[in-house]
Amino acid sequence: MNCEWREKVALFADDELDATALQEAEAHLSGCAECTAAVADHMALKKAVRVAGNKYAAPPELHASIYRQLHPHARVSPWWKWGMSAVSLLLVMTLGVVLWTRGTPKDPMVAGLVDQHVIALSSANPVDILNSNMHVVKPWFQGKVPFTFNLPEIGGTKFTLIGGKLAYAQQAPGAELLYQVGQHKVSVFIFQATDSRDKSPVKVRSMSFNSTSWQQDGLRFYMLTDSHDEADPLVGKFREVNGN
Amino acid sequence: MQVFQRLVEGTLSGISRQEFEKLALPLLDPLYNFARWMSGDPDEARDLVQETFAKALKATNSFREGTNFRAWMFRILRNTFLTSRTGLERRHTEQESEQGFEDSVVTQETPELALIRRADTELVQQGIASLQHGFQEVLILADLEEMKYQEIAAVLDIPIGTVMSRLARARKQLRQFLVDALQGRPGDRKLGAKS
Repeated sequence: MNCEWREKVALFADDELDATALQEAEAHLSGCAECTAAVADHMALKKAVRVAGNKYAAPPELHASIYRQLHPHARVSPWWKWGMSAVSLLLVMTLGVVLWTRGTPKDPMVAGLVDQHVIALSSANPVDILNSNMHVVKPWFQGKVPFTFNLPEIGGTKFTLIGGKLAYAQQAPGAELLYQVGQHKVSVFIFQATDSRDKSPVKVRSMSFNSTSWQQDGLRFYMLTDSHDEADPLVGKFREVNGN
Repeated sequence: MQVFQRLVEGTLSGISRQEFEKLALPLLDPLYNFARWMSGDPDEARDLVQETFAKALKATNSFREGTNFRAWMFRILRNTFLTSRTGLERRHTEQESEQGFEDSVVTQETPELALIRRADTELVQQGIASLQHGFQEVLILADLEEMKYQEIAAVLDIPIGTVMSRLARARKQLRQFLVDALQGRPGDRKLGAKS
């Protein structure tokens, strides 16, 4: 191995060469079998370490503990717990009264999901899996719901994934994903589609909440939020990653 | 108390609480993974990550724009580890071999591509675990976290040259471990002082 470039193989594989050196290295590699083999060897080892090194994921209780650390006001003390239970009860009762006096919304499914969204907002434990990483939240649903779905990449957007939980509506299991956008919470519910209506997004306002529902790839999606249009881009993001 | 309240509200200079949360939460799993490799214990790794977040949260006001947030968090984690019981023990036991880090040269390896490709994940994990702590951390930061040499130097508080030499030796030893294991020389597997 006398080639002077052999010393730079690691730098090349680690992407540590500047633009000029990189250009020279690439030109050299196209004519030097030894260095090319060495680069391939380096890359294979790097890949093996990347796969094998990613061995441990933070347990859910650590996620919950960090979340509490970041949201000290959300800490659950007995008083707070009782207070939140009372508030939850009051909210559900208020919703009941509103429903009673205004009449049932056109889609009973939406009414039921509004209830679930409100309960999630007022709960001290709004989600079953508390994690902002979609690659952790999505697998959590495996085996819990009889379908699969994709979550959109929201890095660099104003949305933050809070977590997910199981939802039940009209005797069917579904997934609820909870997001934060600005000061608003957004619930996205996903169920198996039972008919072929409303494939394109339909937005309705129900009891001060905006509900957008649509259907694609055998799944029915409902997005619920109290924001006016701040959460709308999330609909497009879900549609992009869940087929036609 | 007033400072604490302002910190909670994210109104102190530096980085806001919302920004901190947005940047720090995606690092939770990578930080835990790194802590787990360093400490070798799930409970200690959990405590280390919790303490890292607590320290980082307290230091948000001293965080300056332009600082590499990820390197900053990993550095807090590593410094927390080094002052922990396991960290102190490890530092003591590895001090003798530290000398070898500095004078190592980047040696030329024989390409063992076919053998590396045959290595399964478990074997590579055994290989990483068998590395001396100083080699292990630099390898994980470079190849798993894909940090640049300069970032690794900032996290570990060592010169870039030392990063490069440790990385070269870590890879050489890992490669040798895999080759020995796949060629049926289990007696040669013990590479470092790590228990």
